[in-house]
Amino acid sequence: MTAILAILEQRNGSLRKGAAELLAAARQVADQGGATVDALVCGHGPVTGLDGLGAAGADRVLVATHPDFANYCPDGVVATVAAIAANYRAVFVAATSTGKDLAPRVAAHLGATCAMDVTSVVMAGAMLRVVRPVYAGRALQTVDLAGTPVVAVRPGSYAGVAAAKAGAMDHVTVPAFTRRLEVTGIRAPEKAALDVTEARVVISGGRGLGDAKNFALLEELAAAFGGEATVGASRAVVDAGWIEHGAQVGQTGKTVAPDLYVAVGISGAVQHLAGMRTAKVIVAINRDKDAPIFKVADFGIVGDLFEIVPALTAAIAKVKAN
Amino acid sequence: MKIAVCLRRVPDTTTKIVIGADGVSINEAGVKFVPNPYDEYALEAAIALKDAAGSGETIVVALGEDAVQETLRTALAMGIDRAIHLQGKPSADGLENARLLAAHLASLNCDAVLFGKLAVDDYGQQTGAMVAELMGLPCATAVAKLEVSGGRATTEREVEGGVEQAGCALPAVFTCDKGLNNPRLPSLKGIMAAKKKPLDIVPVSAGSGQVAIVSLALPAERAAGRIVGEGAAAVPALLQLLTSEAKVL
Amino acid sequence: MSVVLPVQYQPPLPASMIRRDQPGAEAIELDVLVVGAGPAGLACAIELHRQSPDLTIGVLEKAGALGEHTLSGAVINPVAIRALFPDLKDEDFPFRQRVDHEGVYYLTKDGSTKVPTPPTMQNRGYYAASLCEVVRWLGEQAETMGINLFPGFPAESLFVDGERVIGVRTVPSGLDRAGEPTDVFQEPTDLVAKVVVLAEGSRGALGQAWRSWRGVGSANPQIFALGVKEVWQVTQPLDRIIHTLGWPLPAGAFGGSWCYPMGPDQVSIGLVVGLDYHDATLDVHESLQRMKLHPLFRPILEGGQLLEWGAKTIPEGGFYSLPDRLSGDGLVMVGDTAGFVDVPSLKGVHYAMESGMLAAKAIASALANAGTGDAAALSAYDQAVQASRITSDLRRTRNIRLAFKDGFAVGAIKAGLMTLTGGAFPGDRIAMPRDADVPRASQPPAEPFVPDNVLTFSKVDAVFKSGNATRDSIPSHLIVGEQVPGDVADFYAHLCPAGVYERQGDHLVVNAPNCIDCKATDVLGPRWTPREGGSGPTYRLM
Ligand SMILES: Cc1cc2nc3c(=O)[nH]c(=O)nc-3n(C[C@H](O)[C@H](O)[C@H](O)COP(=O)(O)OP(=O)(O)OC[C@H]3O[C@@H](n4cnc5c(N)ncnc54)[C@H](O)[C@@H]3O)c2cc1C
Repeated sequence: MTAILAILEQRNGSLRKGAAELLAAARQVADQGGATVDALVCGHGPVTGLDGLGAAGADRVLVATHPDFANYCPDGVVATVAAIAANYRAVFVAATSTGKDLAPRVAAHLGATCAMDVTSVVMAGAMLRVVRPVYAGRALQTVDLAGTPVVAVRPGSYAGVAAAKAGAMDHVTVPAFTRRLEVTGIRAPEKAALDVTEARVVISGGRGLGDAKNFALLEELAAAFGGEATVGASRAVVDAGWIEHGAQVGQTGKTVAPDLYVAVGISGAVQHLAGMRTAKVIVAINRDKDAPIFKVADFGIVGDLFEIVPALTAAIAKVKAN
Repeated sequence: MKIAVCLRRVPDTTTKIVIGADGVSINEAGVKFVPNPYDEYALEAAIALKDAAGSGETIVVALGEDAVQETLRTALAMGIDRAIHLQGKPSADGLENARLLAAHLASLNCDAVLFGKLAVDDYGQQTGAMVAELMGLPCATAVAKLEVSGGRATTEREVEGGVEQAGCALPAVFTCDKGLNNPRLPSLKGIMAAKKKPLDIVPVSAGSGQVAIVSLALPAERAAGRIVGEGAAAVPALLQLLTSEAKVL
Repeated sequence: MSVVLPVQYQPPLPASMIRRDQPGAEAIELDVLVVGAGPAGLACAIELHRQSPDLTIGVLEKAGALGEHTLSGAVINPVAIRALFPDLKDEDFPFRQRVDHEGVYYLTKDGSTKVPTPPTMQNRGYYAASLCEVVRWLGEQAETMGINLFPGFPAESLFVDGERVIGVRTVPSGLDRAGEPTDVFQEPTDLVAKVVVLAEGSRGALGQAWRSWRGVGSANPQIFALGVKEVWQVTQPLDRIIHTLGWPLPAGAFGGSWCYPMGPDQVSIGLVVGLDYHDATLDVHESLQRMKLHPLFRPILEGGQLLEWGAKTIPEGGFYSLPDRLSGDGLVMVGDTAGFVDVPSLKGVHYAMESGMLAAKAIASALANAGTGDAAALSAYDQAVQASRITSDLRRTRNIRLAFKDGFAVGAIKAGLMTLTGGAFPGDRIAMPRDADVPRASQPPAEPFVPDNVLTFSKVDAVFKSGNATRDSIPSHLIVGEQVPGDVADFYAHLCPAGVYERQGDHLVVNAPNCIDCKATDVLGPRWTPREGGSGPTYRLM
């Protein structure tokens, strides 16, 4: 085995977060077969953060510079990778929106196979063995990939490692290419209010709140998180008209997968659970210790929400202030 | 304007997944199959583009076994003009399927080829971009906005922290995301008309490719949680867990 | 102890189901329009195509896909499907397995006694099946014949001209809760046809509207039962079909249970209860949950898994509840809509199919001879039904169900006598009140039912297992009486197996999207009207 190429993303001259994760995944596979890891960064000027890549596991850091790389330029990146691909056993990208756009283009260009949203990747004999969620995460597929596969590693699947490699910088030439798609820029998203599907933290309320006006308690808790939290709801309270339908989480509302989901006064009907059970961490606050929500909650507090929520708000505000 | 849409037949998203006896696929007994939801955005976009252009043709293409004809009929009932069934078992390797589609699409000479951004069964997320690359066409993926005028398209798609804007000349390939439009449902008239629309069958055979599915398994159940305590007194303990154990703060 | 008289709080169906305005200019023109793609409607469409291949036939179905609103036991007498497909063999039909062994048991809370199988309950040689699968299969056959199937399009109202039915309007979709169009709004579609076939199944809304408009009565009012059913994945094949009587039903209720094998690793289990029960707190869903823990059933289910759940009503009145007329100008009624169910044997599927085929023949000859579906020509269907096994079978068991109105013990003796005498005992018709006229006594609450989530489940969990994912923001399709008091709200809450009704304080909360179209409260309380296509359950195995 020769080497693994990890394509890292930059935007406006800064490396995107996730570079260390991707290098960790590549490093593990490389170490299994005594191979090296090359990181490739395509930019149009200096990129900050490249000097740390050796410590994160890159043996070499390849820099491709081209005026068209001011914005993401899939045609140029594909051409660049194609020019050096012969040296590599596999190509890794992060399964971000950019990585997912790039991976199949590279694969098709190389005549290679492509695996998306990979959560684990190892060598298995002459093959790369990957695990990836299918059917919206309701099943996991294990696949062996031959040839020079392109592997898109799902963000959050690997933790960065301290690998102390050289990270020697090298420049690669960008071959001539036709820019078929011209990315003109990135604009800010329009939405003012954070949607439940986008927030990192969702504070949801149910019938236990007793009255529409008590949603104010949840608004306060959400506010304590700074800009990253928003308020959601169960169907019962949307039906009762306490909050608008857009906030409904569940089977017939929105499906959310935030880092933190706080269910306040929500019993946890299976229809609600269907919309939030893939949240990373679930906290439940409910008076009824037998409420089904406690079966899926990582952490539960039994008791009066009117007492617990304000205390939690104060505590979160304190943490965030530090 | 001549537009092709590539369509996939998938299990309904609410299907309870049961692993098949072969251990590498789902048990399809009793499973309801539907057009891939993201492909419906593509179908709607194709009909809207043709309507806006005032003339042209919309063609739906599906690679699959015979059952896919039912899905093609649904597309015809929505308003697509004609259907092509590339009759054969799709490969586990997306590149092989892309090759078949690209070869066939090349003969159609379309101004635009549309896909869904992903299929909700295997989550492959690659066919559209691969087809574009194989055909040497520009490609914008996961578009939530698509405007065509004067032989050029401008697109928008969601990326981390913003909306990426792009443009390209036609012919081009686009993969469609939620937010692009509200797909119409087939009307009664559409269902009746669909019976009379052409559906051509072209036998194909996909290569086996470079992929071997080793296994398909159900994910581990979520571990049972714990009650941290009772009342406001439990808040400090909860905060401790969120910070040091769950690391979400 | 308070008494609830259901009829007091029951609103009427909206008069707008009979439309006197003109169908829209864009209306689709068909020769024959069938409302409802159950066994009756599909058999009718298929036979009609056989009789007259040139006819344009359409079938409206409210479920989003064929079979998704279909629920039955089901052990099927194959006579009708054989007659519909004379070239096929039994193995070609989508049945799960043949019935070779059966047992009838009388249950007490902890025990069971096997009783001799009454002649009316013999099932050997019949087939256990999922009626969803049978309906999907019938749909495929119809589709290949060129019949237009329109799943996801419920019929909302009948267009009439004078005394003649001339067409149907479908329900619009994409309305918000206030009835305002959203950006996915789809206008209703009008369809005109020479003959409309009502095959809506049990407690069909259009059938009720047509009958009250045309004044079509029956000797006894139609009465209904509610069946709640589950399909389980099990660890061992069940070796026989099981029927039970007695527990968990109180003495004042008529009904029984079944458990049928569905191939090597599935069984169906269900409980059917007549809606003339006397106890306002009787809850069929909960009774089925308790029943599953009985020593007769527990070993069958233990280690298994609930796959699907559903509920539906059955017309139980039998012979004396059949409508005085089955047809009129431009309209015929087939299957459960007409009440063709034999209660002692719990059979309706083959009568539904047979009635559909008889209707098809009458329609085909009416259209061939006169080109229109006049009442006089269509009355050939009434005569054909009277001369068929449908009428002779229902006549034989005409008083058996009715005998049970006084409770189980007296009923069982009378029923035995009736069977022995081929229906001659007691001679006359036993008069029955409408279900909604039977007063219910509210007992003080029994011990609350707590599901274990292994063998027993709450109503919300059950509804989830029906596959119901109805859009929450559609207008409510349930018409609720005014000022429903707390004890009546409680009665609805127990009656409805899907948790649509809840008592909160002293008022009634209606969770309309939970509704799975079983029609139980349409019989005893709030009225059901057709709603946006594709709403309701999405059964695959029922
Ligand atoms: C619990 C239970 C157990 C049973 N067990 C057995 C058994 O073991 N054996 C047996 O032979 N029979 C059994 N039956 C009876 C049997 O299921 C029925 O007799 C049979 O299904 C009737 O067929 P149908 O076509 O008339 O009605 P259905 O099967 O009810 O079909 C009617 C169709 O019409 C549709 N529809 C209704 N209204 C509209 C509208 N307005 N617009 C569009 N579509 C509409 C419905 O969605 C449905 O698909 C049982 C019934 C129940 C409820």
